Amino acid sequence: MRALRAWISRIAGFVRPGKAEREFAAELESHIEMHTDDNIRAGMTPAEARRRALAQIGGVAGVREAHRDRRGLPAIGALLFDFRLGGRMLVKYPGLTIVGGLAMAFAIWAGLVIFQVLGLFTHPTLPLSQGARLVEVRNIDLAANDEEPRILYDFLQWQSMRSLTEIGAWRDSSRNLIVGPADSQPVNATEMSVSGFRVADGKPLMGRMLVEADQQPAAPPVAVIGHSIWRDRFHSDPNVVGRNVQLGNEYVTVVGVMPEGFGFPIAHELWLPLKTDLVDRTPRSGPSITVFALIAPGQTMKTAQAELTTMGRRAAAELPATHQRLEPRIRPFAMMVTPDGPDGAAILYSVYFFVGLLLVLTCGNVGLLLFARAASREADLVVRTALGASRSRIVAQMFVEALVLGGLAAVVGVTAADLALRTWAMTFLKANMNAMPFWFDLGLSPGMFVTAIALTVAAAAVAGIMPALKITRGMTHRLKSNSAGSGGLQFGGVWTVVIVAQVAATVIFPALVYWEQSQLRRFEDFSAGFATEQFLAVKIESDDKERLAPTLEELRRKVGGLPGVQGVTFTERVPTTSRPFKRIELGSNEEPLMNQATVAAVDPSYLETLGAPVLAGRGFTLADAGTRVAIVDQGFVDQVLQGRNAVGQQVRFRYPGPPERRWSPGNPDSPERGDWYEVIGVVRELGAGSPTTAGRAAGFYVPATLDQYDQVHLLVHVGSGDPMAIAPKVREAATAVAPSLRLVGLQRVNQVNDDSAWTMTLWKRMTIALSAVGLGLSLAGIYAVLSFTVARRTRDIGVRVALGASRRRVVAATFRRPLFQITLGVVVGTALVVTMAVLLKYTEFSGSETALTAVDIAMIVAYGVVMLGVCMLGCVAPTRRALKIEPTIALRAE
Amino acid sequence: MTEKNAVWQGTLSLMVLRTLLAMGEQHGYGIARRIEQTSEGKLSINYGTLYPSLLRLEQEGLITSAWGVSDNNRKAKFYKLTRSGRKQIEHDTRQWAETSAIMTRFLASPEHR
Repeated sequence: MRALRAWISRIAGFVRPGKAEREFAAELESHIEMHTDDNIRAGMTPAEARRRALAQIGGVAGVREAHRDRRGLPAIGALLFDFRLGGRMLVKYPGLTIVGGLAMAFAIWAGLVIFQVLGLFTHPTLPLSQGARLVEVRNIDLAANDEEPRILYDFLQWQSMRSLTEIGAWRDSSRNLIVGPADSQPVNATEMSVSGFRVADGKPLMGRMLVEADQQPAAPPVAVIGHSIWRDRFHSDPNVVGRNVQLGNEYVTVVGVMPEGFGFPIAHELWLPLKTDLVDRTPRSGPSITVFALIAPGQTMKTAQAELTTMGRRAAAELPATHQRLEPRIRPFAMMVTPDGPDGAAILYSVYFFVGLLLVLTCGNVGLLLFARAASREADLVVRTALGASRSRIVAQMFVEALVLGGLAAVVGVTAADLALRTWAMTFLKANMNAMPFWFDLGLSPGMFVTAIALTVAAAAVAGIMPALKITRGMTHRLKSNSAGSGGLQFGGVWTVVIVAQVAATVIFPALVYWEQSQLRRFEDFSAGFATEQFLAVKIESDDKERLAPTLEELRRKVGGLPGVQGVTFTERVPTTSRPFKRIELGSNEEPLMNQATVAAVDPSYLETLGAPVLAGRGFTLADAGTRVAIVDQGFVDQVLQGRNAVGQQVRFRYPGPPERRWSPGNPDSPERGDWYEVIGVVRELGAGSPTTAGRAAGFYVPATLDQYDQVHLLVHVGSGDPMAIAPKVREAATAVAPSLRLVGLQRVNQVNDDSAWTMTLWKRMTIALSAVGLGLSLAGIYAVLSFTVARRTRDIGVRVALGASRRRVVAATFRRPLFQITLGVVVGTALVVTMAVLLKYTEFSGSETALTAVDIAMIVAYGVVMLGVCMLGCVAPTRRALKIEPTIALRAE
Repeated sequence: MTEKNAVWQGTLSLMVLRTLLAMGEQHGYGIARRIEQTSEGKLSINYGTLYPSLLRLEQEGLITSAWGVSDNNRKAKFYKLTRSGRKQIEHDTRQWAETSAIMTRFLASPEHR
């Protein structure tokens, strides 16, 4: 209570210091006067009496200071003073503010973006009222070290658990939603237990949600649709409830519409009841499902896991054949999109390490600048130490200065991060995930601000405390030896490492940009060999594998009959996207220089539809489908056969796939060889390779039957106009042929690599930003180091010049050490560029050049020399300053 | 003992409170002189240190202050004990008595001579 009272009184004194200050001055004066009066009465002269009185007070200023400290909050007062000083420093050194601030902003920005994106996977939060209690229950197959998704049997068993409630399951059920004759598109549908609506706070916008009765086997088929489907496919029809729509092969009645944002379980937009007759009672069989549940009130994740483990042991004992190696586990629901296992953790830690390293390196550089600035204020710091400022006080002051700079940087960093997360990161995630889970949100959040503050404090600690500790070390010693400001202070070994690493990074980054640019140029320069802009590519999915071939034949006929269509064909993969490589052997028994072929399984009509004339031999005929003949492209002839005649050559796969699909991945440990293929023809290069793979591909086309494909794409050649214009007609035709056919990813063939190109452009931009920050920091750092050196050695240079030494030589000698550091950095950086270039060469196809040519090396060395010149730009101003030192002035200054 | 002893850490507050108990209202200079007189000149007070101590006691609510006029007609700030100040004296006095008794016994015991 007493302490609290004292604190309140101190806070009041801190807020309104003026009155108390005046009062105490009056009190002290009255004390001195009374004491003086007494002294006069004791026989002293008035002057002596006052002198004695003052002496016994022990220094009026000191007493006032002590009283002031006790009256207010001195620590906070000092802190505020430091903040003001830090603010003044920003204005006084604008160059440092801009360079250092941008560097710190960059570090904070990068840390924020990485942590926010990573956080979606490591610390996801569900925006649901019961999100914290929602879990996924699954079975792990310990033998395969993988999840066992056939858990219908177990799902039934788990329903008796006391520690879980609202236990339910779902399975993906992607189907075509056919709203009208011309509107058939696949939707992310799910068959889900009705408890899913309850755990996810579902409230229908219209109509109703699914109920238990809908799950009965005999219940009429119903569906609930999501907001986006209602808006886009039903044009926000207010009478949609009750409408009968076609979903794949069946008809369902729409009974409700969910509000915007409802996407439980992941990113779903149409919900069907999980029928109870689906529940197969045979252990470890049936379709794949995912099980969710809520932790029951009063229970925890731990108790639920314990109960689950007990059930798992019992199941293992009762059903050893299926369950001996199965272990049921529980995890937070939102963690299901997070990669499992130690790999995930390793990635996580390496990312933390990377962010830490980036922060330390970038802010270490800012620290270097602050150190140089502090060195120029060394005399000031020494005086403060002499006046009684402790080392921690000075360190705190420099930390606050860095914090002020960091605060400014944080504003820039957070703004830029928000922008990057909203635009780039969302697009990046969308491009890399099929659908964004409903809980993924990268908007500004309290967590982001906490991260930003933590990063700012860390950045300020690195940038402020490190140089402060360095500059205050041995301060009292320097004070005593009177050597402050005369060269006693030195850059240490740590700074040498920082400078060398930074210059090396500066050299590497532009080289990386060059490499990324050359990769991007591949996208632009890549020639598919046919008019890709005239082709529509459609991926076709179907659950009815048996009838797929006749269905596709029917589709070919229908689409081929559409007006404007010049040709229709099928291929396993779209041209110019990456295809499997296969190790090959030639019938002539010679080891080809290049022994990898890019294998394309295509319909016999493929080459003809692409309009590629046969250069030698013959083309495929319908009768070739599924037989052991092949057509190779010019890339194959040039690289594998070294220009010899291809027709009649025998080729086989070293590690073949199963007999019906020889081109699919085989077992590299198996000694088996594939059947011989006879090369019957040669065509020009038709996009067998892709711009994402290095080198020139050696295309090897095998004719396949429609049931042999692993995945199947329809290619439609449209004579004139945009092929996308025909997409609705193709959908219509597919629905007419088989409502269950799902057409996904309709795009022009010249667009298939757009996502990769976009991602590469993003990386390039980031590297350019990194290069700019790196270069700016390097130049500023070099400038700071040399300016510091000149400031330290002014007298020294002056003396030597006065003694008759050559001015240039003295300056060269003074700068020897920093120049050596810069040169070392450039050499290290150039060496790393060479190493990277060599490694890149090795990753290209075997058979192509593996060594760097003399021209390559000369280019890299020339680049290193240019970078050395660029780094030397930072030396210009300090060198000029050093050359201008006049001995007389330099000596007088001391 | 010819040299004057400096005031021990932490004892000044109790001395101030005791002085105010004995003298009633008093200003800072008066308190300082009184402490010196009570110690019969054996304690030397740096008058400056007295004021932060007075401030602390006031902040903790053990004393209050008000401006008044001194005996020789000077304007001065007078300090007065509060009720909690009196309680504090009882508490601190008891504690001092115990501490000093322990120390006396300790120093008097034969094995420590």
